[in-house]
Amino acid sequence: MIMAEPAERTDQEPAADAPTAEMDLVRRAQRGDLKAYDELVQRYQERIYATVYHMTSNHEDANDLAQDSFIKAYQALKSFKGGSSFYTWLYRIAVNKTINFLKQRKNRTHMSLNDLDFNTENNPDLVALISENTPRRDAGLKELQEKLNAALLKLSEPHRLVVVLHDVQGQSHEEIAEIMDCNIGTVRSRLFYARQQLQSLLTDYLKPT
Amino acid sequence: MNENEQDFGTLQQFLKLKRHEMPPPGYFNNFSGEVIARIRDGGKAGEFSAEAPWLLKLLQLFEFKPAFAGAFASALFLLLVFGFVFADRPESSPQPLLQASVAQSNSFAASTPVALAQPADTTGITVTTNPATSLQPVASLFNSQNPFAQQVSFTTTGN
Repeated sequence: MIMAEPAERTDQEPAADAPTAEMDLVRRAQRGDLKAYDELVQRYQERIYATVYHMTSNHEDANDLAQDSFIKAYQALKSFKGGSSFYTWLYRIAVNKTINFLKQRKNRTHMSLNDLDFNTENNPDLVALISENTPRRDAGLKELQEKLNAALLKLSEPHRLVVVLHDVQGQSHEEIAEIMDCNIGTVRSRLFYARQQLQSLLTDYLKPT
Repeated sequence: MNENEQDFGTLQQFLKLKRHEMPPPGYFNNFSGEVIARIRDGGKAGEFSAEAPWLLKLLQLFEFKPAFAGAFASALFLLLVFGFVFADRPESSPQPLLQASVAQSNSFAASTPVALAQPADTTGITVTTNPATSLQPVASLFNSQNPFAQQVSFTTTGN
C-alpha cells in the first residue's frame, strides 16, 4: 500500500495538472498572449473542425467556420469567466456559429466530403458490417459515405448535432447537454428521434440481407 | 432505453464510418498559424466591424441571400435614374403658380397707393416696402420680373 501511494500520485499528476495548465493558457491568452492562444488552438483544432465538418458535410465550410470560431473565441475571451471548461465554452461558440450558418444557407447544401482514411478498409468490423447489411455488397465505401452524409443533412440542426456529438464523436449525454445548454432528457429524446429518422432514411443500407 | 440502443446498434456502427473521414494530409499543420495570422490581421477588420456593425450585417445578408442583393442593387439603380431625371427637368414647371402670386402682388400694390400703416417715427428712420413708391422698376434690374424681389427704401430724417 505504502509503495503504491507515490505511483498513484504520479499517475494522477498529469490529469490534475491539465485543467490548471489550460486555465493558465487561457489567462495568458486573455492578457493578449497569442502564443498561449496558439497552444489552445492546437489543442482543440481537430475536435472543433470535426464537429463542424460532420455538421456541414463540407470541408471548405468547416475550415472557414472552425477558423472563425477560434477567432470569435479569442475576441470574446475576456468574457470567459471559467464557469465551464474552456473546451465546453469553445464548443458552444463553434456549434452556435455552425447552426447560424446552416440556417442562413438552408436548401443550399453542397457536400464536399473528405476522403476516408486508409484504415477504413482495414477495419474488420466496418467491412463486415457493410458487407453483411447492405443490399449491394459491392457498394463502395465512398457511396455509403455519401448516403450517410446525405441522410445526416436531412436531419434538423439540433438533431444532427446530437448524433454527431454522441454517435460520431463519442461524447457523453452530460457533455452534450452542457454544450447545447439543455437538459439531459432533451439530449436523449433528440438522439432517439434522430436515430429513428436516420434509420428510416438509410433503411436500404441497414436491412440485413 | 437499452432496448432502443440495441435497436440502433447497426446504425451506430454504420455511423462510425464518419470517424474515418479525414481532411487532406497536413491540413492541421498550419491551421493554428492561419488562425493567429487572421487574429493579428483582424485588428483593423475588427475595428471596422465594431464601428459599422450594420454594414457588416448587410454584407452578410448579401452573401447569404443573393436575391436581396439584386433587389438592393435594382432599388439603388432606380434611385439614381430618378435622380438624373429630376435633375434634368427645367425649373419652369412651378411657373404658373409663381405667376399667379406675382399677379396677386401687383394687384395688391395697385390698390394701396401709399405705404401701409407706417410705424411712429421714433428712431428717425422711415422704412417702407411699398413697391408703388419705388423709383426704379424691378424688371429693369433683372431683365425679367422677379416675384420674390421687393423694393425697400430707407428714409433718414435728421434729429
